[in-house]
Amino acid sequence: MMRVLILLLPCLIPSWRFFKSVEPSPRVQWRGVSPPGGPEDDWQDYRPAPQTVSVTGMLRRLIWNPDRNRDLWVVSLSERLILDPSAHFHDEICRRVAAEATAHLAPGQFSDLQFRLLFISREDGRIESQISYVSNPFPLAA
Amino acid sequence: MSFEAARHLTGILLALAFAQSSLEHLICDTKARVVFALRLICCAFLLAGIGTLPALGVLWLTALYLLHLFQGPYNGGSDKMGVLILTCLLLSHLAPSAFWQHMAFAWLAVQLTLSYFVSGQVKLVNSEWRSGRALTDVFAFSAYPVAENLRGLATHTRLMQIMSWNVIGFEVLFPLALLSAPTLWIALGVAALFHLANACLFGLNRFLWIWLAAWPSLLWLQDRIFG
Repeated sequence: MMRVLILLLPCLIPSWRFFKSVEPSPRVQWRGVSPPGGPEDDWQDYRPAPQTVSVTGMLRRLIWNPDRNRDLWVVSLSERLILDPSAHFHDEICRRVAAEATAHLAPGQFSDLQFRLLFISREDGRIESQISYVSNPFPLAA
Repeated sequence: MSFEAARHLTGILLALAFAQSSLEHLICDTKARVVFALRLICCAFLLAGIGTLPALGVLWLTALYLLHLFQGPYNGGSDKMGVLILTCLLLSHLAPSAFWQHMAFAWLAVQLTLSYFVSGQVKLVNSEWRSGRALTDVFAFSAYPVAENLRGLATHTRLMQIMSWNVIGFEVLFPLALLSAPTLWIALGVAALFHLANACLFGLNRFLWIWLAAWPSLLWLQDRIFG
């Protein structure tokens, strides 16, 4: 109950400090893996943004935008996993990655999956990325 | 705008915003479908103007459950605003006297004003926002642009600086719009364009609908204080 109240309080007295500064931005990458000694897939981006979105697509997304909102949720999970590591955030990313991988991998191609978090930031004027987290392998059927 | 009209309109706009997000979860995810179906039913009651108080109560309880389920807001600030509107609306119905009903609803208007002013103030004191660098970085490498080709905007440094100052200026000056009804309507028009741009460029569609739902409280409070 106390935990719910702690989560509720920032809703009732929000800080409203949107985009106070631009923090390192997370990207999730995943790959299929097999038991030790088995094949490993190349890392691939989790749901990369499309090259373009048409104006009509943008307008349609005003009222129907579930995929994008799920992507933003995964971004939020990634940030929270680093700031406040918990099994909940880890397991939720695993669940999303497994759903994505199922659509990409052939049945039986890999038994397990793995994800990692890259954080992109500007360092000394250059845009750089750093791997901040690599998960242990987890079953594809997470 | 009268108190009753503002509160009624807030309920309708909130129901539409919640229905939109609940449908997305219900159709495209497997998590907590029963809860989102229940929220949809409550939204239908709110829109019909039937059983408003129980519907608000159930929506509030489900909001608590979702905060617990996702260990925080699913959609960041828009979910926070949703819970805030819901709480203020519920308290405005539960409060024992007109004074406290008005206070609960006024809290929403105050927070709405702060949502613009504070986010402008924190940008104003940040040299990276004043130079346009922060907005450049949002387009260059943040996860927000909805398409890769939008990242090209980051190379237009002058445009980024102009856009930054437009956002900062609008946000920090927003409270002054409360001084008269016409200026408030103009400010809300600019706010609508601001939220629309955020929705189109960054995919933040839920912010548009939920912030819209809070506007009637501001129209009422402005009329009450300065009208």
